[in-house]
Amino acid sequence: MKRGDVLRWVLIVTVTLYFAVPMLAMARFAFQVVPVALLTPDRIFEGWSVSGLVDALGEPAFHEAAKTSLLLAVFAGILNLSLLLPLAIAIELRAQHLKGLLTTITLLPWVIPPIALVVGVAATFRSIAPWFLASPYSLVPFYALWAMPFTYRALDAGLRSINAKTLYEAGRSLGASSRTILWRVLMPNLGASLIAASVLTGALVLGEYAFASLLLKNTLPTYLEVYQGGEPRAGMALALAVMLLTALMLWIVVRIMRRRGLDVSAAAGAV
Amino acid sequence: MRSGPLAGLPFLAFIGLFLVYPTAVVVWRSATPDGALGTAALERAISTTYRSSFINSVQLSLASAVIGALVGLLLALAIYGLERPRWLRPALEAWSAVASQLGGVPLAFAFVAAIGTQGIATKLLTEIGFNPIDHGLGVSGFWGLVTVYLYFQIPLMFLVVMPAVAGLRQTWREASRILGAGPVRYWRSIGLPILLPSFIGGVLLLFVNAFSAYATAYVLSPSTQIVPLQIRFLLQGNVITGEEDLAYALVTWTIVLLLATVVIMSLFNRRAALWSRG
Repeated sequence: MKRGDVLRWVLIVTVTLYFAVPMLAMARFAFQVVPVALLTPDRIFEGWSVSGLVDALGEPAFHEAAKTSLLLAVFAGILNLSLLLPLAIAIELRAQHLKGLLTTITLLPWVIPPIALVVGVAATFRSIAPWFLASPYSLVPFYALWAMPFTYRALDAGLRSINAKTLYEAGRSLGASSRTILWRVLMPNLGASLIAASVLTGALVLGEYAFASLLLKNTLPTYLEVYQGGEPRAGMALALAVMLLTALMLWIVVRIMRRRGLDVSAAAGAV
Repeated sequence: MRSGPLAGLPFLAFIGLFLVYPTAVVVWRSATPDGALGTAALERAISTTYRSSFINSVQLSLASAVIGALVGLLLALAIYGLERPRWLRPALEAWSAVASQLGGVPLAFAFVAAIGTQGIATKLLTEIGFNPIDHGLGVSGFWGLVTVYLYFQIPLMFLVVMPAVAGLRQTWREASRILGAGPVRYWRSIGLPILLPSFIGGVLLLFVNAFSAYATAYVLSPSTQIVPLQIRFLLQGNVITGEEDLAYALVTWTIVLLLATVVIMSLFNRRAALWSRG
């Protein structure tokens, strides 16, 4: 091996270790029924058990929080798509010069992060519409908003890859109406992008903490934080499960995007 | 589609109501403490304790952005030059897309398990004679937070910079070699100038990403003096009149800082797009 190759592999192995160690440590904390102080390297095979996870999943409060988060993810996904999809299609077909503007608007959630926006929300809606903030589902519009930079990228990449404009013009010259083209040509072809965008929104919602915590809503992340304080081992197991679920969802997005030959970096949302 | 312009209306109304309106109210109130135009709140938000929160936040974000960007870039370069194993690059890209979004509460717990006081890695290192906590490397300190943030910063940088690295054509290297340039000259005159806009754009994106991160820092050490945690403290701690204006002012400064960063970032990204390959 050349010296360059050695350096290359040293870097790759180091980074891999850095990514793997916290997960493995978490697995030991979560699934070894051994006092934490005794989790030393020589006891690595002692007392493995999934009882922590079973306990965590059996909590009624967990069901409540998980249900809220799941519904938030579904509603935010629907809202997000119903706002962005018509716009993305209209701009791709009719007004490509507005693309830059839309990209700029979808960058706004980076400029106004949740911790900043939540202050504005408390300052405005709390006095003019207190009933609105009382419900946990008041988070839906803000989660839809927060997901936009990511989902817009997935939708835009999808529209470009199917050559939506060409399909539209071909359909028109063959005598189809706009509505027919939309429902029978564009939508079936966009299926993968739509699923990718929805799953991505879901993964983001499952992890969002700042908004839920400051508006005192009981979602999965806020529940997890409180629960782990009282039940360290079971809480760790639940955290690991949530993390794996999020990772699985994002991995599905990557698979879908790849199968369509799209760039996976849509998950980065900002470039 | 005749409804073209109409398709934008619900979207704009939505953005207006849920993003622009609350933000505008906060900015306006920060500039009108006690109901009259004045800079008292805005000035207080960058003096004494609050100034140090901004300094801490900037230092934390900058450290994690620069280190994350360097490691991410080196990783991209390492992977790009590697032909085998062939699965490595797609696997790393997929992992990066996943890990760049893995922030928040579970990640904080993972690092408590790894490098907390009772952490697995802490014990391992203590056994070989180096207790990281004794050297100021606890998970809730400055470098601890940087270590945790890198978990999502490195993958984000890898995703952002990979297209630029993939844009370095093999033919350029061959052409420069034929023209008599060594590797040093090649990197100085061609490689680095091409990668630089992407790199700087990446650093700025990572900076914004770290500056607005909240959950991880809150779970690991809620008393850290950084801007997002100060905002929380002012909003939830006590509802004394005047303190709210201070929270609004902190938010205004945060938005000003992030806006400036994002504007500069998009200038660099435009430049970077010239040679990129997805």
